Amino acid sequence: MTASVISAESIPGTGRAARGAIELRQVSKHYGDVVAVDELDLTVQPGEFVTLLGPSGSGKTTTMMMVAGFEDHSAGTVLIDGKPVDSLPPRDRNLGVVFQNYALFPHMSALENVEFALRMRKVPREERRQRAEEALDRVGLGKMGGRKPRQLSGGQQQRVALARALVFNPAALLLDEPMAALDKRLREQMQEEIKTLQKGLGISVLFVTHDQDEAMAMSDRIVVMRDGKIVQSGAPEEVYNHPLTDWVASFLGDTNLIPCTIVERNGEEAVVDLGGLGLAKVRDRGASGENYAVSIRPEHLKFRTRASAGNGCAATLVSSTNLGATVRHRLTAGGHELQLRELSSDRGAGIRPDEELWVGWDADKAQLLVLES
Amino acid sequence: MKTTNPQHPLLALLSIPAFLFLVIPTAIVVPVALNDSRYITFPPEGISFAAVAGFFADRAWTSALTASLQSAAIAVVIGVLLGATAAIGLHGRKFPGQPAVVGLILAPMIVPTVVLALAFYQFFISIGMVGSIVPIGLAHAVIATPYVYLTTRASLAGLNPALVRSAQSLGAGPLSVLRHVYLPIILPGLISGALFAFSVSIDETVMSLFMQSPGATTLPVKMFTDIQFNLTPKIAVSSALLVSVATIGLLLQVLFVLKRRSSTRMLPLAVSAQT
Repeated sequence: MTASVISAESIPGTGRAARGAIELRQVSKHYGDVVAVDELDLTVQPGEFVTLLGPSGSGKTTTMMMVAGFEDHSAGTVLIDGKPVDSLPPRDRNLGVVFQNYALFPHMSALENVEFALRMRKVPREERRQRAEEALDRVGLGKMGGRKPRQLSGGQQQRVALARALVFNPAALLLDEPMAALDKRLREQMQEEIKTLQKGLGISVLFVTHDQDEAMAMSDRIVVMRDGKIVQSGAPEEVYNHPLTDWVASFLGDTNLIPCTIVERNGEEAVVDLGGLGLAKVRDRGASGENYAVSIRPEHLKFRTRASAGNGCAATLVSSTNLGATVRHRLTAGGHELQLRELSSDRGAGIRPDEELWVGWDADKAQLLVLES
Repeated sequence: MKTTNPQHPLLALLSIPAFLFLVIPTAIVVPVALNDSRYITFPPEGISFAAVAGFFADRAWTSALTASLQSAAIAVVIGVLLGATAAIGLHGRKFPGQPAVVGLILAPMIVPTVVLALAFYQFFISIGMVGSIVPIGLAHAVIATPYVYLTTRASLAGLNPALVRSAQSLGAGPLSVLRHVYLPIILPGLISGALFAFSVSIDETVMSLFMQSPGATTLPVKMFTDIQFNLTPKIAVSSALLVSVATIGLLLQVLFVLKRRSSTRMLPLAVSAQT
């Protein structure tokens, strides 16, 4: 199965009005003295795909469980479509939830699993069968309705869980690491399918994951969490290219962190002193702290000629490792160890054997951030 | 089917006498019950159903059998309700004093029956509840409950807690969760717990003896009192009856387990046939 099974065209009701705003106001969760979630403010706009990204223990799953109603929050308010739901039990919140291991009812067939929510809502037998079949069709499992969950592969179970969570037209969809149990290829395929389904239905999604690639691939907005707090929130590219702290930069992928002192801050731009690497112009998002560094992603460092404009410095090549599609070079420059990543097909394109090795970067790809650790 | 662990041939040889040692004293009541004699003798002098017919013709014995079945029914119903709800209620929950609650549920298995018998005797006398099978059934329910609790708890160990949450998120209330999530998973445990409860009650003698009254004499009590001065084959018949009931219960359970297992074992075949 390589082609995507779910397509926007197969989704009835495509293009209907977006719905399902979720809002958390100053929501906290304490377990005794431990603060799992700390005065969180979070809004999911109707139709928006928002990912809570963080390591385990960051409070992302607890946050989702509070939205679903499985955990009571210690303080604050949760609103769905503008209405407070703090006193509503999970069954009255009208949210579709997909759990980490799908949590399909093992003794029910796929179709019965999908029908369950309609049965609970006292939908007449005929109608609920029809709607359940449509929902299974939508996820490409129209012919598998009679099978028990254990007769289905991981990806198929995942699709049944999606159909089950969507069949009753929930206000929003909550996904708790739904791809954690799938292998890499299937995971990537499901990411695309879920994204297509979500766009087609115009449904808002709150997604929980610790996998930054997954978050990058699927989200309209990533909310990075650490120790129960939001450390940064924004579009995937924004968070990836312009991290506010060294922790966010490292959590979202490899990066070169060069400690620096600020010479001049000028709105969006700053001039910093990179020590052995000299002065450089970098991006500034106004983050403030005690110590600063500049983050440059390995793929934004380039081999250059000395004559070309922009930031740069002389470097010495330490080692090169072929990673398949890309090559990773380790360099030293101005007393710092740097990583440079380039496409294998471009290998060594900027290197002039007769000249001194020079690496450079574009000013808008270097981000000033706060050094926390 | 090949066993993964090949057994030493001597082991089978040795287990035969052990097996016979365990089974023969129990099985011997069957030929004794079918003995063509007015007394309990072995070996049997001939095969006859006279003693069996005599048992069922004797009102004293049939009412003892009825009393036993009534007390067992009370014990099973109450034991299953208490044991299963306790197991579900305590499942996956931690609170201060929880070990004490579990200990309390299991206590009737450990406290000597004679102590319980005395306690129940005094208790039911003091509330004026005597002369019927009900107090005996209630007392049996108390010693049956821990068995149901344990078997239900064991089957709940396989429950994925996310199932409860997913049912709730799909709109299920507490009763629907009980019916659609808990019940299918605890059913095997519930059935074996009920069988345990039944056999515990059918077999129980000490408490029944303490609380017996003319209208409420259970089969073991009748056997015990008769055997002291009236050694008829009817005693062997009732023993044989109890053994058969226990055997049937065991067989039913085995059948149930086999049926479940075969329905799960068929599945991979069904999958490969369709793909």
